[in-house]
Amino acid sequence: MKRPVQALLLTLTGTGLLHTALFTDIYLRYVKAGLRPVLIASGAVLLLLGLAAAALGDGQRHTAHDDHEHGHDHAATPRVAWLLFLPAISLLCYAPPALGAYTAARSNTKPVAVQKGFAALPATSPLPLTLTDFTKRVQQDRSRAIRNRIVQLTGFVTPAEDDDGFYLTRIIFTCCAADSQTVKIRVHGTEAPPANTWLAVTGTWHPQGALGTRTAPAALDVKDTRPIAQPVNAYTDDLPLTPS
Amino acid sequence: MKKSDELVDVVDGVAVVPVGSPPLRRIRPWPLGAALAIAAGAAVLLLAGTQWLNEPAVQAWRTVCLAITVQALPFLLLGTALSGAINAFVPADLFTKVLPKRPALAVPVAGVAGAVLPGCECASVPVANSLIRRGVTPAAAFAFLLSAPAVNPVVLTATAVAFPGNPAMVAARLLASLAAAAVMGWLWLWLGKEEWLRPALRHRHTGHEHGRSRWNEFRLGFQHDFLHAGGFLVLGAMAAATFNVAVPRSVLDAFSGSPWISVLFLAGLAVLLAVCSEADAFVAASLSGFSPTARLAFIVVGPMVDLKLIALQAGTFGRAFAWRFSTATTVVAVTASALIGGALL
Repeated sequence: MKRPVQALLLTLTGTGLLHTALFTDIYLRYVKAGLRPVLIASGAVLLLLGLAAAALGDGQRHTAHDDHEHGHDHAATPRVAWLLFLPAISLLCYAPPALGAYTAARSNTKPVAVQKGFAALPATSPLPLTLTDFTKRVQQDRSRAIRNRIVQLTGFVTPAEDDDGFYLTRIIFTCCAADSQTVKIRVHGTEAPPANTWLAVTGTWHPQGALGTRTAPAALDVKDTRPIAQPVNAYTDDLPLTPS
Repeated sequence: MKKSDELVDVVDGVAVVPVGSPPLRRIRPWPLGAALAIAAGAAVLLLAGTQWLNEPAVQAWRTVCLAITVQALPFLLLGTALSGAINAFVPADLFTKVLPKRPALAVPVAGVAGAVLPGCECASVPVANSLIRRGVTPAAAFAFLLSAPAVNPVVLTATAVAFPGNPAMVAARLLASLAAAAVMGWLWLWLGKEEWLRPALRHRHTGHEHGRSRWNEFRLGFQHDFLHAGGFLVLGAMAAATFNVAVPRSVLDAFSGSPWISVLFLAGLAVLLAVCSEADAFVAASLSGFSPTARLAFIVVGPMVDLKLIALQAGTFGRAFAWRFSTATTVVAVTASALIGGALL
């Protein structure tokens, strides 16, 4: 790889990282939010390195003789480095979307942690809940506080195996999209919208099994669905940051 | 002189390994060839349309591939910067003074020293490389390479968070990782051959040379190492993303029944998925159908051997080394986690 190409590659990679992490929120599709400062720093370092390589070149005026005597020839970069152009260009011009229904349909539901005590539910109606909290209330809360409550859940649509309803889904990851896990709530009593549509769904628990035990399915009888914009924190199971 | 080792790591397996060292600077035809290939690829893309890039499966693959790359790049930069700094600024005899003289003793010391490098496994490959170039015995450098991503405080804390109320898992991870790293170091002393390593690593005469600017040397070394390792990182991320998308998680539980099969299965899964060592404990915690020992194997093998690490090691140390070392490490790490998991969990 020639020196100008190396300089271009470093500059492109640096710009790509800065573009995703500093100027836009695109990085949230791929990695956790906490990585942002590190990504910005890396982008800046790579950009400076690329500019330095373009401006200074080799930085020394050594002869051909010198070049052969020197033990480690930094001018020679293997051609595998060309592969780095793919993520750089992809980040800059053609960033793929966050993981969605395709991945969710192929993964198990993440097991919900066991919670000991449950606080009383707030009196608001409809009551906004995360998918995880709803699952916990249905399967673990012995006081059955969720019975007859109208709740509001948000997530994206993953088609179900049969025709009755769909799965309201969130994909969560710890570090990056490679370790993604899925939380799903079955929604009954409505036509399935197209996959990956973001929805706010209001409804009540779908009565089946014994509420407060593992036999109760995390499922909802729908009252109303409303399309929403994809939240900024799409890869979490949080209540949406945007006022709904 | 050095032209021979850059040609060895050609990706597509049709490497032309030149015999001997050509005395003259050879004209390399590949930039033109690569430019033609890229132009041809772009033409095909324009003709066939970019529709296939938006298929759900391809999109998921691109997302996972980019995610692995983006999340590893900062750690790779950190490792490259450290390795460049070691090369340019640390005196050559520092490590030989600090480490015990006998290699057999230096191995466990280097393994424990891995705890000081916080971060993922991508950082440790360039650092181990520069340690060898600085005269550290390869066995000790490999013990460091294997233990660093698994025993540092960041990763152990993440493990404790992922397995709440289960400190035995953290202890088992620490012990099994240290044990596997030390055994691999000793194994290298016993059976390892230096000719498996790339030629550049065998004569250790890099580092600062008189009459050259240290900063300039640092910058050039940094640029070279980063581009080199970065290319292999992308290659490894592509392979890992392929398995990540092609193997649906829902088939996993089919293997959770038998205790022995499940240990081997999760060890193999750790190699294929290439989850970062800071996150693998959370993935292991979610594999709740499996026995604790199998999950321990997942988090012990993962930071030591996975597809992106194999690609990085092949690029840094040479392919002859990478496949032997990765195979042996997998066996040792599975054995260590089976023994320690059986005792502690």
